Amino acid sequence: MLSRVALRSGASKQTACTALVARGSASDVATHDQKTFARPVRGEPGKVRLGFIPEEWFQFFHSKTGVTGPYTFGVGLATYLCSKEIYVMEHEYYSGLSLLVMVYVAHVKFGPKLAAWLDKEVEATENEWNEGRNQTVKALEDAIEGEKTEQWRAQGQELLIQAKKENVLLQLEAAYRERLMYAYTEVKRRLDYQLEKSNVERRLAQKHMVDWIVSNVTKAITPDQEKQALDRCIADLASLARK
Amino acid sequence: MAFGDYPKEYNPAVHGPYDPARYYGKPDTPFSQLKLNEIGSWFGRRSKTPSAVAGAFSRAWWRWQHKYVQPKKVGMAPFYQLLVGSMVFFYAINYGRIKHHKNYKYH
Repeated sequence: MLSRVALRSGASKQTACTALVARGSASDVATHDQKTFARPVRGEPGKVRLGFIPEEWFQFFHSKTGVTGPYTFGVGLATYLCSKEIYVMEHEYYSGLSLLVMVYVAHVKFGPKLAAWLDKEVEATENEWNEGRNQTVKALEDAIEGEKTEQWRAQGQELLIQAKKENVLLQLEAAYRERLMYAYTEVKRRLDYQLEKSNVERRLAQKHMVDWIVSNVTKAITPDQEKQALDRCIADLASLARK
Repeated sequence: MAFGDYPKEYNPAVHGPYDPARYYGKPDTPFSQLKLNEIGSWFGRRSKTPSAVAGAFSRAWWRWQHKYVQPKKVGMAPFYQLLVGSMVFFYAINYGRIKHHKNYKYH
């Protein structure tokens, strides 16, 4: 950047120097006085009266003689020139008059149409000359707009990336919870299994013990005891029958 | 200063782009603001070298061009001005011949 600035200032200094050397004057390098020596601007055409007399000449008379003064002066001057024959009305004067009439008629009759056509042509030519420049400006503006859109899209990309990151975090969370749930269910299943197993063992043990006790008790009953019990039953039945 | 050069007062660094209708020397009182008794000394101060006279005509020409001919949409005014100017000019140079056509003997 610095080197570029140095290069540019050097280049401008060099051109200024060569220009000064070529003209051989004005040793000091001064800056452009923008106010006094403003760049000339293409203005509107100067106003005229009677087709060709500058408006300023009429304005020059206004302060001294009023608005009719210039006309009075013109007529007076013409009268003086003709009267003293400074202006000699020879044969060419009359051909000049007829030419003047023809010019006036042509001016009034064809002037507006010609002016309209020429204005159109001027506009067309100017547009043609400006077209490339306007196109370039428009292309550059479009490029700037496109660049802004791209930047806007890039900002959207940032949002999208953020959303994706959040999405990944959500997925991680979901996976974590799923595994947590899996661990929970697995532990519960094992515990349920242990519970069921102990239940079954206890039931079997109980059943076995009951069977064992019953069989042992049945084994322990002797025929003698059986006979006593039978007798006892009969005695009880007899006592019941008596009642 | 040779032919085709800019006026020697013109300095592109100060004056910017060259305007052919502009006088780049030290400005004097404008002619339109002079009193009658100052006109002699005003002309005495003018440079009367051929190049200065040619420069004055050139500036007048370009001032007329910029005002009446060069604007974007001009009317017929510059053409009529040229016409009237040439009529006056040719009347003046032919006056020696035309004056023999005078009609009146007594004024």
